[in-house]
Amino acid sequence: MKELEKGVRFRIKLIGVVFTLCFALVAMRAFDLQVLQEQEWEERAERQHQKVIPLTPQRGTIFDRNGEELAVSVDVDSVYAEPGKIKAVDGATKSLAKVLGISTRSLKAKVKGSRNFVWLKRQITPGQSNQIKQMKLEGVGMIKEHRRFYPNSTIAGHLLGFTGLDPKGLEGLELQYDKMILGRGGYLVMERDAMGRGLGAGSPQVQGATRGHDLYLTLDKNLQYLAERELAEGLRTAQAKAGTVVMMEPSTGKVLALASSPEYNPNAFSRYKPYQWRNRAVCDSFEPGSTFKIFLMAAALNEAVVGTRQKINCENGVFRVGGKDIHDHKKYQKLTPAEIIKYSSNIGSAKIGKMLERKAFHRYLTDFGFGQPTGIDLPGEVNGLLRPPDKWFEVDLAAISFGQGVSVTSVQLTAATAAIANGGYLMEPYIVERIVDSQGQVTRESQPRVVRKVIAQDVAQRVSRMMELTTEDGGTATNARVPGFRVAGKTGTAQKVDPVTGGYSADKRVGSIVGFLPAEAPRIVMLVTIDEPKKGVYGGLTAAPVFSRIAAQAMQYLKVAPSQDQPSGESLPSLEQIFVDAVTPEKASLQHLMVAVPSGGPQMPDFSGLSFRQVLELMEEKQLNIDFRGRGRVVEQSPSPGASIPYGAPVWVRMAPPS
Amino acid sequence: MFDRRLITNFNWAYLLLVLMICLIGIANMYSATSSWTAAVLPVHLKQFYWVGIGLAIVAIVCLFDYRHLEYFSVPLYGCNLLLLGMVLAFGKTIMGATRWIGLAGLNVQPSEIMKIVIIIALARYFSEKANLRGFSLGELVLPGLILGVPALLIMKQPDLGTALLVLCIGGTMALFAGVRRSAIIFLGMSGVAAVCGGWFLLHDYQKKRILTFLNPEQDPLGAGYHIIQSKIAVGSGGFNGLGFMKGTQSQLSFLPERHTDFAFSVFAEEWGLTGCLLLLAFYCLIVLWGLHIALRSNDRFGMYLAIGVCAMLFWHIVVNLGMVIGLLPVVGVPLPLFSYGGTSMVTTMTGIGLLLNVGMRRFMF
Repeated sequence: MKELEKGVRFRIKLIGVVFTLCFALVAMRAFDLQVLQEQEWEERAERQHQKVIPLTPQRGTIFDRNGEELAVSVDVDSVYAEPGKIKAVDGATKSLAKVLGISTRSLKAKVKGSRNFVWLKRQITPGQSNQIKQMKLEGVGMIKEHRRFYPNSTIAGHLLGFTGLDPKGLEGLELQYDKMILGRGGYLVMERDAMGRGLGAGSPQVQGATRGHDLYLTLDKNLQYLAERELAEGLRTAQAKAGTVVMMEPSTGKVLALASSPEYNPNAFSRYKPYQWRNRAVCDSFEPGSTFKIFLMAAALNEAVVGTRQKINCENGVFRVGGKDIHDHKKYQKLTPAEIIKYSSNIGSAKIGKMLERKAFHRYLTDFGFGQPTGIDLPGEVNGLLRPPDKWFEVDLAAISFGQGVSVTSVQLTAATAAIANGGYLMEPYIVERIVDSQGQVTRESQPRVVRKVIAQDVAQRVSRMMELTTEDGGTATNARVPGFRVAGKTGTAQKVDPVTGGYSADKRVGSIVGFLPAEAPRIVMLVTIDEPKKGVYGGLTAAPVFSRIAAQAMQYLKVAPSQDQPSGESLPSLEQIFVDAVTPEKASLQHLMVAVPSGGPQMPDFSGLSFRQVLELMEEKQLNIDFRGRGRVVEQSPSPGASIPYGAPVWVRMAPPS
Repeated sequence: MFDRRLITNFNWAYLLLVLMICLIGIANMYSATSSWTAAVLPVHLKQFYWVGIGLAIVAIVCLFDYRHLEYFSVPLYGCNLLLLGMVLAFGKTIMGATRWIGLAGLNVQPSEIMKIVIIIALARYFSEKANLRGFSLGELVLPGLILGVPALLIMKQPDLGTALLVLCIGGTMALFAGVRRSAIIFLGMSGVAAVCGGWFLLHDYQKKRILTFLNPEQDPLGAGYHIIQSKIAVGSGGFNGLGFMKGTQSQLSFLPERHTDFAFSVFAEEWGLTGCLLLLAFYCLIVLWGLHIALRSNDRFGMYLAIGVCAMLFWHIVVNLGMVIGLLPVVGVPLPLFSYGGTSMVTTMTGIGLLLNVGMRRFMF
């Protein structure tokens, strides 16, 4: 019996060895094919794929929260040739060259080779496409490809980003969600498909293409437009270099508007410099200045190191800390914490900072989300600067207490303020509400996410009440008032660090205001920053009016009932008027573009028979500002096709439904 | 009744290894079929459900002591033989082959069940009759019949691949049990004679497959298409592969049967030699670990059972891989756990259940 067992055991091991050898044989064969003969098989693969031409994929649409299109993929024709099938090469290339604007010689070179397929020009205009269709050339055909188009041109341009021609997302949401939006281009299969099935007369077929996923944003196009418009106006008034506006819903962290200026048009991104593409609200950090005092106050009240009725000596305007003098803009004596916020006293803040001490202050700042990414779904977010507390000198603690010596992004500051507005919860800001696949199925749905509870609810309410004082008489943010609403806000004016000297610049400043309304039940929290204003240095003068105008219109748009009686005499522009402007947003930016057009003026294209979207697209390309009349397809236009367009002359098309 | 030691002795790592291969397979399937127009239930999701069913089967098979099978082996074998007979009499004909019959509303493929049943039947016979000197020719007549009758019935369907696999499984088990040298020589010679003679009995498409295997370039768009496309896929994968979802051969539909029999080609193209070696190592581990279980089993029946399952896994893996990389002719054998297919999943998981069953009861008397 034992002998028998032994024999079996031996045989099991033997067979184990034989099995392993078989696996080794398979592995060796794989090595042989994949490494030693790799080139040969790759070439074979290429040879059989040669008749397969990759096409550009159709990207998904980006909608705002009301379903308004912000980025769409439009069909465009690409023209190709099958050289073997072209009959009269000379005639064909000549007429094609004229339409496509390519030299006859290069066209001839293209169709000369022995290839089965060659692109003549990709993504041509509808007019060119119509002309080529009418020629009915044999061996020349067209395939529908897709091109990205932003119907609102500059609106939300920084947020949306743009795509290359491939069309991969290069910036903004297009980059962040590229994998979802991109879709699969599919292939143009010539003559025979993979299975060796003949396709008759060799008509090319597209296979394997799928449309990308659609994005629905939390963004509201109208609020975004408001924000951009008022920001631009504010920058113009203050003669400032740049600016941002961030508007969020405090209870959820949904971004309602996120504007960054200077603006650019993603339809023609290559005409702008890279610094104009940058979304300053997430990619740039700045020293916040006095707006930071509200977080100091929130921390101090939450730790109960300072009492509400406690009087703090503000040293009559000058106070020496760590060998340096700190100034207030006015001489104050004894102030309560609420008054420190209301009058924005630096000295009072420095003293509260000292009571709180470094470790606790730093912990609260970290809890409010400073010095780390907020997690917003946009590319290129920076951390801002918040040094560890053991590196703070005495003077640093004082400076940070009133917002110098730290840097934050606009989105960080807004999100942190939202935590005060909503009773102490830091929410993760987000822009994409849901992602829907080409079949209409929701593949991802964002939910509001609480990052952490930062301060107690009653502390948040007390800080909020203090922030209301700033918009009351004698406060620093009276310009931020919104008639009929209680507004909580805090302005800030920070000196910028001069990149050359490394010290603070004498005249370069960032004016800002952050706040929310209605203060008793906040619907929006908003930040406005004005970078390097030349007129009216303080945030209360530059940023606060912008805040007020956006907030007033936003309250009206969001149909929030005023809680106070509206003082008579003040009237707001009607929203209808504003959004009529939003439909043709090209006006402002168009004029300086027109100047760049070569002499003789632009020529009027032939719009006849085109759809609304095709006209929009052509209009974008030619930089025209067209009035639309009616719906459907174009039946009439002025000026007539081919005529030159006098500068400033009205351009219109009349459209009618196809009969 | 249920001993706690059974849980402690259960080979969780082995099950994990099996699941890992399944998951790689599903990911691969997702890539292979991504160009298909969306069906109600995509193939990779269906396979996901099949893996779930497979796991349930493993659990059920592990619940009872495998030693009971020894007494059920004869009726099991008898019933299965009857089913095979019924297939030939009134089975469903799909694509020229009659392999399925309807049983209680299910489509059943008795030839697949036979792979398991033959292991049980032969395990019983060999464990009872084993002797020191090995089996003589005369003693091999009965197991030869046990093996030969169903193999012939399956070949009649016609399903040459499965028939050969059943023979290979049985043959491997016999070699384990020990066969006298004289018998081996005789069987070997008669085997060669049978192959030569069998050539004339093969169907035309079967002959064609063997001929094209010997020279696939002869008919690259016809009979050699599968093998060439598969070799192009594997070869163009190179050392590092083209990347997940990027294999042109599969994404452009050049590869046929790319979610079933040629799933490995898709994998090889997208993950390259590195991926291949990893997956091969997994499979090698599955088989060798199975042999280890056989080595440590507590009775002879269990040992033969384990060896039989190992042989089944091994032959499926090697025949499929050999086919995909052009070492063997194209026979429709799926790669266990990796290719799409409910039948294959059920058979394989039953086998793995038996293996784990033997392993977890090794200390029980």
